[in-house]
Amino acid sequence: MTATKILTRNFERADSHTLAAYRETGGYAAWQKAETLEPAAITEEVKQSNLRGLGGAGFPTGTKWSFIPKHHAGPVYLVINADEGEPGTFKDRYLLERDPHALIEGMLIAARAIRSATGFVYIRGEYIEPWRRFSAAVKEAYDAGYLGRGFDVVVHRGAGAYICGEETGLISSLEGKKGWPKLKPPFPAIKGAFGAPTIVNNVETICCVPHILTRGAAWFAALGTKTQGGTRMYSVSGRVRRPGVYEASVAITLRALIDDLAGGVTGNGRLKAVVPGGSSAAILRADEIDVTMDVDGLRNAGTMAGSAGVIVMDETVSIPEALMVVARFYAHESCGQCTPCRESTGWIYKMVRRIVEGRGRKDDLDTILDVARRGAGTTICAFYDGAVGPYVSYIEKFRAEFEALIPR
Amino acid sequence: MTAPTVAFSEAQLAEVRRLQGLYPDGRAALLPALHLAQETFGHISLEVEEYVARLFDLTPAHVHEVVTFYTLFFREPKGRHVVAVCHNLSCHLAGAPEIVAHVRRRLGVDVGETTDDGRVTLQSVECLCACEHAPMMQVDDRYELDLTPEKVDRILEGLR
Amino acid sequence: MPKLTINGQAVDVPAGTNLIEAARKIGVEVPHYCYHPALSIAGQCRLCMVDVEKTPRPTIACNTLAADGMAVWTETDRVKETRKSIMEFHLINHPLDCPVCDQAGECGLQIYYMKHGLYDPRMRDEKVHKPKAVPLGAHVILDAERCILCSRCVRFCDEVTGTGELGIFSRGDESEIGLFPGKELANKYSGNVVDICPVGALTDRDFRFAVRVWYLDSATSICPGCARGCNIEVHVNRRRPHHNDGRRVARLKPRFNADVNRWWICDDGRYGFAFVDDTSRLVIPRWSRDGALGDATWEEAIAAVAGALQRFAPDEIGVVASPKMANEDLWALRRILESRGIRRVAFRVPPRTPGDEDTLLIRRDKNPNSLGAELLGLEGDGAAILAAARARQVKCLWVFGHDLLASAWPVTETDAALRALELLIFTGPSANATSERAHFTLPAAAWVEREGTYTNFEGRVQRFRQAVQPLGQALPEWDILGRVLRALGVEAGATRAERWFRELASGVPAFTGLTYQSIGDGGAALSAPPGGGAAGSHLVSGHPPMGPGSRSPLP
Repeated sequence: MTATKILTRNFERADSHTLAAYRETGGYAAWQKAETLEPAAITEEVKQSNLRGLGGAGFPTGTKWSFIPKHHAGPVYLVINADEGEPGTFKDRYLLERDPHALIEGMLIAARAIRSATGFVYIRGEYIEPWRRFSAAVKEAYDAGYLGRGFDVVVHRGAGAYICGEETGLISSLEGKKGWPKLKPPFPAIKGAFGAPTIVNNVETICCVPHILTRGAAWFAALGTKTQGGTRMYSVSGRVRRPGVYEASVAITLRALIDDLAGGVTGNGRLKAVVPGGSSAAILRADEIDVTMDVDGLRNAGTMAGSAGVIVMDETVSIPEALMVVARFYAHESCGQCTPCRESTGWIYKMVRRIVEGRGRKDDLDTILDVARRGAGTTICAFYDGAVGPYVSYIEKFRAEFEALIPR
Repeated sequence: MTAPTVAFSEAQLAEVRRLQGLYPDGRAALLPALHLAQETFGHISLEVEEYVARLFDLTPAHVHEVVTFYTLFFREPKGRHVVAVCHNLSCHLAGAPEIVAHVRRRLGVDVGETTDDGRVTLQSVECLCACEHAPMMQVDDRYELDLTPEKVDRILEGLR
Repeated sequence: MPKLTINGQAVDVPAGTNLIEAARKIGVEVPHYCYHPALSIAGQCRLCMVDVEKTPRPTIACNTLAADGMAVWTETDRVKETRKSIMEFHLINHPLDCPVCDQAGECGLQIYYMKHGLYDPRMRDEKVHKPKAVPLGAHVILDAERCILCSRCVRFCDEVTGTGELGIFSRGDESEIGLFPGKELANKYSGNVVDICPVGALTDRDFRFAVRVWYLDSATSICPGCARGCNIEVHVNRRRPHHNDGRRVARLKPRFNADVNRWWICDDGRYGFAFVDDTSRLVIPRWSRDGALGDATWEEAIAAVAGALQRFAPDEIGVVASPKMANEDLWALRRILESRGIRRVAFRVPPRTPGDEDTLLIRRDKNPNSLGAELLGLEGDGAAILAAARARQVKCLWVFGHDLLASAWPVTETDAALRALELLIFTGPSANATSERAHFTLPAAAWVEREGTYTNFEGRVQRFRQAVQPLGQALPEWDILGRVLRALGVEAGATRAERWFRELASGVPAFTGLTYQSIGDGGAALSAPPGGGAAGSHLVSGHPPMGPGSRSPLP
């Protein structure tokens, strides 16, 4: 399967981030068209396209937009989640740096659909260059009159916290607080940022919107599977010959992605395991990669599409060590709000580290599995469930490798 | 109350007010204002927290919650440069532990410490989302990619 | 009114009621730590999980509103299993050294572990260490390792006092509550964070390690610290008299009353009980004979006082009653005044420094029963009585509790008035500069040593109960005054506080219909609003408020 370039079509151009380059390649035509459409018609088109959120949760985008109360009198906010932080994911960095106007145009269209006059773009604090590039593009868009006429964009920098990629944690952070996720209900579409109805969408998700408008929902839907339209940008890293961002249909198989697009496995050349959707996705064994990369395909395989961050491990990689690195991440990034997550991410990291350091106890593996499963689904947000994915899958699928490290 | 020894310039105060005006609730400008404070004062001392709290009509405890939550706010003086080596999975697979060890040896400091001459603060951090170029690190506002010990040496030498 | 079922039992609740409160209404307890009815919903502790029909997994009850037709189950197998798991999460990093923890015996973790946990502990790694024994302010001390991060204290300071001193700092398992470095928890309600802390993280500096809570006995009472009349419990140490440095009263705790103080009391009230066990207490009747002060028996003292009241002409006698006296005391006093025709009476003595006040609980008037004294007709001009004493028109002055020399009245004038007196009688629980000058001192029981009622500033009559025996020979004022009355030859059948109250209720229109039973533990509003024309007529005015009154009850 060859790569289909829609979102990344301009990436090779050195000036792809400029308004001139964007316009040259048909930029802002979708917005022109959207201006002639009723908001409900835009939402319907996006629904028909089967676009699903590309930040991690995979929720149908048009459906999300339709949750905004129809006759709401006060402000409605559009918030862009550019707090890319899922380990193994780097696609939004490319979009912000190389095609910022696609995001702005997508925001204009989305804002019209949900009747929002203000958009906030929350960019992770470490992303300095992406923030500069995007801010420059926003200025261009103001100067050219795309922004400032019924829709304003505020660019907001985060300050270092993975949890702010969770949509309500992001809202808390945007409001000037710690990034503690909020209780649901109320859901953001009813009561989100600053207490107003709010839609939070990922960068890549919104970048798809102009293409749906110009080329039609049917075209977009046909690019993917029955339940998910379009292409998406896969971030491929780890032990592959050509790590990088690859755009392909959501129907591509994991095997094709690794072998055809990323050039195959390095290390000893033999695949051991793959994380298919960012570190929160359950790991797949080498014999489990003949799956399509769409939301439902990976869900059926017992994992998730997540942010499409693919981390490849060859046979020389120590899975226990990999889990230790991942467990350290979740312990470090737990926001501390809910007891199960706050207390057990640190404990599980301690146990995995002990195992890797040769001080494991016989019952550690069962304890980790049991604690993780008991905590799953008990917290305010999905962060802990995201940690449970690796805890359980790494141990279940590579148990012998862990046991070999535990002294008899 | 003792007279504050930290204070923004008039222009910076105007900028804080502008930032506050961008949001439906001025508190939302707290993170941007703290970024500005860190650029201005070098790090976010308790005194800075209290100063910013007054600008936002918040209690110092509320600002302290925010400052201690985010990793990019330095509560102690930092070096003139900050070297943050990614240690998450993709970088780990590409040799991040060796890179961290190499930087520690070269700088003579442990993770979290600053060189005696105040030149560099070393950090080991979670995923910076440039995994295609692992191992990588952030040096101040730049991403340094595809690191090797030799490349790290060249980068460190350039830090004055 | 949503109508739902909880464990199969139907219940109607007002719209907006969450499932914890809905369950409480039918006597079903949903265990929880972070939820508190006075505070915003945090949903952090994750313990209050219940099963709601048609939802895929247990959900937190605190953030789920009762809805029509909802079927809730609080004791399904998976709910119980989830609770057990959550208990383990709470205890992963919690020190398991209950025997040395001051919260032991009233700890939410201990109680729920026994009820809902009972798993085999398997955390054998080093626990996270945090600061211990950190004083947060004058009254509260923090053990951050014992904290379960429920955020109740933080929300209390944000939402109830609005002072925002506390925060949760850092993140993950390093999260800890605390103050901004260098600041203090110095708001006037700081002790409440100890009450709402479900574990041993925040303890009371005054109380901690003084006595184990299982040795405490409790009596319901009313705080005498101001005109609000906050409902409290008095916790006393009777069973281990060698503990608590021999002090009988161990601590005061707020008692919920929706109409008065909700869940709270102020620190001044909470820690205002020290006088009860102080060496300054008056414990033996004393009298001056032949220029020397000596102990007297109650019989001698009562006879002497009654003799003085008869020896002096009514107009030569002044009485400064106290708004710290109970309604029963004041009624007994009024009987004496009426029987002797004494008209020079007052009860207000202005404090030298005006009291503080706020919009939450604290009242400027630091007396619990000013309205009661007013309704019983004891209003008068205290300064005029002292002026009359200086003019030697008043020769005998009976002071209840007050230290007139510490009042806002000029000390030289008060001093001159006291000097001019032929006889100064003092009745009160504690010695002060005025009692030092008295010829007779009659020791009164402190409020925790007796029962009675106060009328708060809103016209709510509230009962306080006896928690400990009176110190030494001290007696309740109603008892002292009743004895004086009988010594004066007046029929005075009441020998219990309740009997005095019954007499009072039939004599003062505002109190019509009130009984100890109807007042109960929650208090009862006066049958006539305070401040209106219905208030008891003034004794001095010559219209004794004894006649039957037709008073409309409060709405």
